[in-house]
Amino acid sequence: MIPMLEAKQVSKAFTLHNQGGVTLPVLNNIGFTVHRGEALVLQGPSGVGKSTLLRILYGNYRPSTGHVMVRHGESMVDIVHADPRLVLQVRRKTLSYVSQFLRVIPRVSTLDIVKDPMLGRGVPDGEATLRAQNLLARLNLPERLWALPPSTFSGGEQQRVNIARSFVDPTEVMLLDEPTASLDAGNRTVVVELINEAREKGASIIGIFHDEAVRDSVATRSLDLTPLKVAA
Amino acid sequence: MSASHSPSRLVSELEPLLQVNQVAKYYGERIGCEDISFTLWPGEVLGIVGESGSGKSTLLRCLAGLDTPSHGEVLFRHGGGMVDIFSLPEATRRAMMRTEWGIVHQNPRDGLRMDVSAGGNVGERLMDRGDRHFGAIRTSAGDWLSRVEIDKSRIDDRPRQFSGGMQQRLQIARVLVSEPRLVFMDEPTGGLDVSVQARLLDLLRVLVRDLGIAAVIVTHDLAVARLLTDRLMVMKDGHVVEQGLTDQVLDDPHHAYTQLLASAVLAA
Repeated sequence: MIPMLEAKQVSKAFTLHNQGGVTLPVLNNIGFTVHRGEALVLQGPSGVGKSTLLRILYGNYRPSTGHVMVRHGESMVDIVHADPRLVLQVRRKTLSYVSQFLRVIPRVSTLDIVKDPMLGRGVPDGEATLRAQNLLARLNLPERLWALPPSTFSGGEQQRVNIARSFVDPTEVMLLDEPTASLDAGNRTVVVELINEAREKGASIIGIFHDEAVRDSVATRSLDLTPLKVAA
Repeated sequence: MSASHSPSRLVSELEPLLQVNQVAKYYGERIGCEDISFTLWPGEVLGIVGESGSGKSTLLRCLAGLDTPSHGEVLFRHGGGMVDIFSLPEATRRAMMRTEWGIVHQNPRDGLRMDVSAGGNVGERLMDRGDRHFGAIRTSAGDWLSRVEIDKSRIDDRPRQFSGGMQQRLQIARVLVSEPRLVFMDEPTGGLDVSVQARLLDLLRVLVRDLGIAAVIVTHDLAVARLLTDRLMVMKDGHVVEQGLTDQVLDDPHHAYTQLLASAVLAA
């Protein structure tokens, strides 16, 4: 059992300076460990702080207190306190965040968007192209769209481009915020397969899934953020 | 444009490229900027955001050697060590400004020679560097025009015959042709309409990444900062009020002023 991500005493409150300095407490003293090959699903009603927690694990939000340790190569890096350069390195190689929304970059083709993280990790261009094409096909994205920038695509098409980009070369730790929301049943099945394949190859998954069927077919464990107890 | 990665960005660089210690610039009693310290590493892109008058352009001018700071030091990696660029003789600093780092001005007229052909504007930098073979210089200039998406047939035209967007791309070619390790950009997309901005931004993004150069980009446009920068410094009244990873600062701003900035845009 190799620990891949450890959250320790994570709390988060938002202080809104321009709205009378009101403070919104969201998370209080959250702690858990995720090991290699596990899929932890975060549960709880809307507003309980699932997405906030996921963003903290990625280093996107800064917690008020606590640590997030991520195994990066041989060492454990504290995402909360590490130098920004190191956080970027961890994100490039080890830790990825997948939402249902694609951040479109003007003028960059779909194929290049999907290849981009692989090239950043040193995968040769030819191999990256082949793997990107295979996965786009598996996600039922028509080949005529591959050379186009996805800015004009439908929401569902953009979402599948985003999933292809993240799963074409899965990182060791993957944070998934509703990646299957609003996909049709066929594509949802493909995404569930991709998640399970990544996990079986050793990836650790922490995710939010509102669809119960998806949750049941992905989770190896769950964490309910409402009453703060770990279910087996 | 391809989205290929330069392997140089993968290498963890041990030595900083630029180190800024306690830099301040005063205009009489008035503070231009004060107490600015940071370190920039090879291949890193730092954004400086803040509204007009926050001191970001003043700071950039000090970093690039265009203005002398009232206080503090700007250390640049040179010849195996870190040298304070303001302790160097004027001529040495000027030479470094043309070869070691480059400056992309907001107004292309400040960075281009308007009465010299496009090819001449780019080729001049190679001659500064010591290149003497006319044919090779012209070929290289032509290649750079293509890279910034200016048709090679325009190589003998003067910049005043170019549109604003083309002038800005020509300025970028003039700066990058000498392969600087660091580029300073002051509102590189200011004054351009949105479609031209998008084209220029993508060009900058790809060039900076493929060449592995470091950059300091001053902008008031948070979407530009998000697209191009790794790290962000937020300035107000001459001081840095918040800094960190770009997505952190924009998505979870802590300082009142940054919260105001981040909530004032429609979508960044």
